Amino acid sequence: MVGYLLKRIGLMLLTLFIVISLTFFLMKLIPGSPFSAAAKLNETQRAIMAAKYGLDQPVPVQYLKYMTNVLQGDLGVSFQFSNTPVTELIAKRIGPSATLGLQAMIFGTIFGIILGVIAALRQNTWMDYGSTLVAVLGKSIPSFVFAAMLQYFIAVRLGWFPVAFWRGYEYSILPTIALAIFPISIAARFMRTEMIEVLSSDYIVLARAKGASSFEVAFKHALRNALIPVVTVLGPLAVSLITGSLVVERVFAIPGLGEQFVTSINVLDYPVIMGTTILFAALFIFVVLIVDILYSIIDPRIRLSGGEN
Amino acid sequence: MKKYSLLLAIMLVVSVFMSACYGGDSAEEQNENNEGNESGETASDVPQELRVMETSAIPAMDTILASDTISFTTMNNVFEGLYRLSADQEPVPALAEGEPEVNEEGTVYTFKIKEDAVWSNGDPVTANDFVYAWQRALNPDSGSSYGPYLMEGKIKGASEVYNDGAAPETLGAVAVDDKTLEVTLEKPVSYFVSLMAFPTFFPQNQAFVEEQGENYASNAATLVYNGPFVLDNWDGSTDGEWTYAKNTDYWDAENVALEKVTFNEVKDPQTAVNAYEAGEADITSKLSSALVPQYEDDPNMVSWLEPTVFWIKMNQTNEALQNINIRRALALSINKQALTDNILNNGSIPANYAVPKEFVTNPDTGEDFREANGDMLEYDLEAAKEAWAKGLEELGTDTVELRYLGGDTESAKLTDEFIADQLQQNLEGLTIKLESVPFSVRLDRDEALDYDLQFAGWGPDYLDPISFSDLWITDGGNNHMAFSSEKYDQLLKDAESTYANEPGKRFETLQEAERVLLEEEAAIIPVYQRQANILVNEKVKDFTYHFVGPEYSYFPVSIGE
Amino acid sequence: MVNPIKRIPKEMFEPKRVDESLAEKIEKPSLSFWQDAWLRVKKNKAAIVSVVVLTLLIIMALIGPYLSGHTVQQNVEHANLPPRIAAVADVSWLPFDGTLKNRDGAILTPYEDRQITESYWFGTDSLGRDLFTRLWLGVRISLFIAFLATAIDMVIGVSYGAISGYFGGRVDNIMQRIIEILSGIPNLVIVILLILILEPGILAITLALALTGWVTMARVVRGQVLKLKNQEFALASKTLGATDYRIIFKHLMPNMVGVIIVNMMFTIPSAIFFEAFLSFIGLGLKPPNASLGTLIEDGFRVMLLYPYMLIIPSIVISLLMVTFNLLGDGLRDALDPKMRD
Repeated sequence: MVGYLLKRIGLMLLTLFIVISLTFFLMKLIPGSPFSAAAKLNETQRAIMAAKYGLDQPVPVQYLKYMTNVLQGDLGVSFQFSNTPVTELIAKRIGPSATLGLQAMIFGTIFGIILGVIAALRQNTWMDYGSTLVAVLGKSIPSFVFAAMLQYFIAVRLGWFPVAFWRGYEYSILPTIALAIFPISIAARFMRTEMIEVLSSDYIVLARAKGASSFEVAFKHALRNALIPVVTVLGPLAVSLITGSLVVERVFAIPGLGEQFVTSINVLDYPVIMGTTILFAALFIFVVLIVDILYSIIDPRIRLSGGEN
Repeated sequence: MKKYSLLLAIMLVVSVFMSACYGGDSAEEQNENNEGNESGETASDVPQELRVMETSAIPAMDTILASDTISFTTMNNVFEGLYRLSADQEPVPALAEGEPEVNEEGTVYTFKIKEDAVWSNGDPVTANDFVYAWQRALNPDSGSSYGPYLMEGKIKGASEVYNDGAAPETLGAVAVDDKTLEVTLEKPVSYFVSLMAFPTFFPQNQAFVEEQGENYASNAATLVYNGPFVLDNWDGSTDGEWTYAKNTDYWDAENVALEKVTFNEVKDPQTAVNAYEAGEADITSKLSSALVPQYEDDPNMVSWLEPTVFWIKMNQTNEALQNINIRRALALSINKQALTDNILNNGSIPANYAVPKEFVTNPDTGEDFREANGDMLEYDLEAAKEAWAKGLEELGTDTVELRYLGGDTESAKLTDEFIADQLQQNLEGLTIKLESVPFSVRLDRDEALDYDLQFAGWGPDYLDPISFSDLWITDGGNNHMAFSSEKYDQLLKDAESTYANEPGKRFETLQEAERVLLEEEAAIIPVYQRQANILVNEKVKDFTYHFVGPEYSYFPVSIGE
Repeated sequence: MVNPIKRIPKEMFEPKRVDESLAEKIEKPSLSFWQDAWLRVKKNKAAIVSVVVLTLLIIMALIGPYLSGHTVQQNVEHANLPPRIAAVADVSWLPFDGTLKNRDGAILTPYEDRQITESYWFGTDSLGRDLFTRLWLGVRISLFIAFLATAIDMVIGVSYGAISGYFGGRVDNIMQRIIEILSGIPNLVIVILLILILEPGILAITLALALTGWVTMARVVRGQVLKLKNQEFALASKTLGATDYRIIFKHLMPNMVGVIIVNMMFTIPSAIFFEAFLSFIGLGLKPPNASLGTLIEDGFRVMLLYPYMLIIPSIVISLLMVTFNLLGDGLRDALDPKMRD
């Protein structure tokens, strides 16, 4: 197990290296000038600015320099936020995004799994249709429309929660719900599918025949096996939360990473785009590792193998 | 193990719901408190606190590095330069003690600095603070973009310092003594004092800046202030919420009413309006055009015509667009009124000119720039078709295909679709290929002249028509459409040198240049002049906005009943 | 007296002659996999309704743009008209009477005010284009993008996942690393690059969606293959000398059809939504093309002023999603060999 983990971590670093290199070169293909005042500068002034940020050097030289800096934990300085180190930008903005993401992930998967289990246990009853409806609606309404509706009806009309901003716990509730609706529907759909499948398998029939209560059957015998495919979607789900956060942070005026990422793309702030990409990638690779480990814990039929043995 | 984690999960779900209830209660309490404030207290002890929404965080607080409106606005409120813009858009002395002495040629300005002006750390504001800031702005290593943009060609020696590495001391800005600043210009600049209200020209406390080094201006604590407010809570350029507190050391502190101003970054215009409606903020950011009609008759909507003009650039490296009749036909065939009434629908007005309305007035007569030239290139379908037919004949073809480079913002998208449709419907044989690209890509293609038609706009940085006129000089830094007219160049040269000290004559020359640009050359297609609309709570008194540079001043504002 | 036992004639005890040829006879008609599935889908009412609705939507996407009598020609004099259908204009609970409420609750009658006699069933947008026509054109483009992207997804994802999971070992390891690297780059970056490198439009978006979407499919399929390949039936056919190709596609695949279909039923709406999301951050389809996503996005901007511009396309997109999901469910139940009754 330890050897396997070490091997995986080595591979993670290699992956990260390739991701960084790939993103770096792709980024260089994007046309456009990163200086916000570019419209007003003449060619000479622009050339001097480019030299100041090292953008006049050949791409391989820039690449080597960037990689050396990354190894030392230096992600460069932002163009749009004059001279602010990217690491500092990320550090300051990650709080709200991480809070929202975690809350949405926990609330979303748990609620979704419960919904899916109920639907599967009471297949083709109103409870099944109800939970299907929730799951389907959660996926059917575009996230920005859903977020805006929540804001307008719950916050503006009813006044139950603050409309926007980020000043305390109550400010995170509506955004969390808006963000969680996607994990809820994904988890519920997958859970229902798997649960139904598992419930019809022989060992469940046997358990029932032996007189186990349906609660016991569902939670003690079926859930564990039905959870396996749900675990596989957790990774992509975590990434979808990143995409979702771009929308939700914008609608609820939350100073998070997602909003900053979109802005950076629009103004071509290379260092910030690169830095955020590296962070997202690292996060994703990490989640995949965790999922693989979880997989082996939940399903004993799958053995972690280091390749050769 | 398994049961335990299930329990944990249930507890988490429950706790989320419980916190949800908690959140609800406290929000209600807040609302009640707010209502209490509104009705219960009298005008005299209304808390002098204001809550404002901005569209972005503050990108920079180092005056020489800033290049965006939010930074400029903040600087305008926490720092101060020699001049300020008044509510009537006039430059008025601020740190300067009265008007400067100017030599006969209009090339040397001598400013006296107010004796009681101090930095918030107690240091007096000196002439050297200006010299230091300006020299820093022209040091290529500091990465200033507005420094060279505003100083080159105006302040003597600026170009040499920035481009050729001349010694900073050769710059034409000298501290004669602690409170006297002497500025030497390359040539007379009639609007020079209005430039002094622009944050790039603000002073910086040399000792403090050098002491902070790399950290200078990275957050509220590493800044020193000399304006009506200080930044009370600002955690650096990513902070989505920041506050001003009144600066008690400010020389005119007794005339500043507000104790505290809170700002929030809000990107979505609908969110801004929702927060305003819910009483969570007093002033919105500028409303998107879809929101304006909803507040048409609302007395709390403040609107003003901005001096920002949108036009279509015609790239004259394209063979068809070299033909004056083709250009004129294109310019005459767009129903601008329909565009502003139906699509923008936010009070913007059709532009039949290149220099905006209600922007500058003739220094001799006080007439608006627009009076003399009136409307040019007005929508005229008959004339457009006639010119089109003539142009096609001269080109010896009956079809023309043009690429139209548009913007990618929401209103730009609709505007582009409308204009493309108008051109194609009204001019037979014309095909428009619509291309929408992000802003930064558009700039690239603009520079490379990789377009036929391009929708673009321009907002000025200082109060002078030349900020629009010099865009179209042959090979000018922002021309980028291969437009070249000897007559136009000559008129601008006359205005800048021959009539440099005759403001009235200079003004008329620039008006003549505009006439040449549009009437004779049909070089661009002016489309519309934008109106700004924001919602301001009725309690807010003396709300003040500006046309150029910083957008708002908060020190005249007070909170009433 | 004892009742005489009824005599049973001897003939009745004649032994039945065993017909060897009938022993193998199958009484029920022979059903192929798909016929069998169809029989079971038919029992699922929700799935049948979904098929009908979906078919209607697809038919409308094909012929809808030609029904209203209006084209998408701009006409600013008819801009921002609310929906009006002459036949039901007097039915008060239907929102097709051509009126609008403003923020104060006052009722506006733009048709009468502007003296417009013709009716626009779903109203017009701010350029005066008929929204009924635009809506179905948008559905057409959205469906096209979604189907194409999903098809590419499925082909790449299933083969990749199956090969990776089945062969395991080094092959799996390398293929998984490639997946990790690909999915480690946030979708947005790839999408933006493609949109900037290719001509912005339908093709760029479809490609971007397909290139970033297949990874999920590959992961799910790999997971299933890992689970199934060591089960007895697979081992049995391996022992009997079946080729790898045969085992993957004949034995493992039918067991995964359910999961693949469920995944596809997520991919189709995902594709439609990712496209809508792209419009929201300014990277969507470029005008004059419209998709459901851009229509919703346009409506979203004027949500409170002209709610119909948001509500109608939102209803259609929700209908599409609901039907895809219910149909997916029905198919899943029907195709799963383990669910036979």
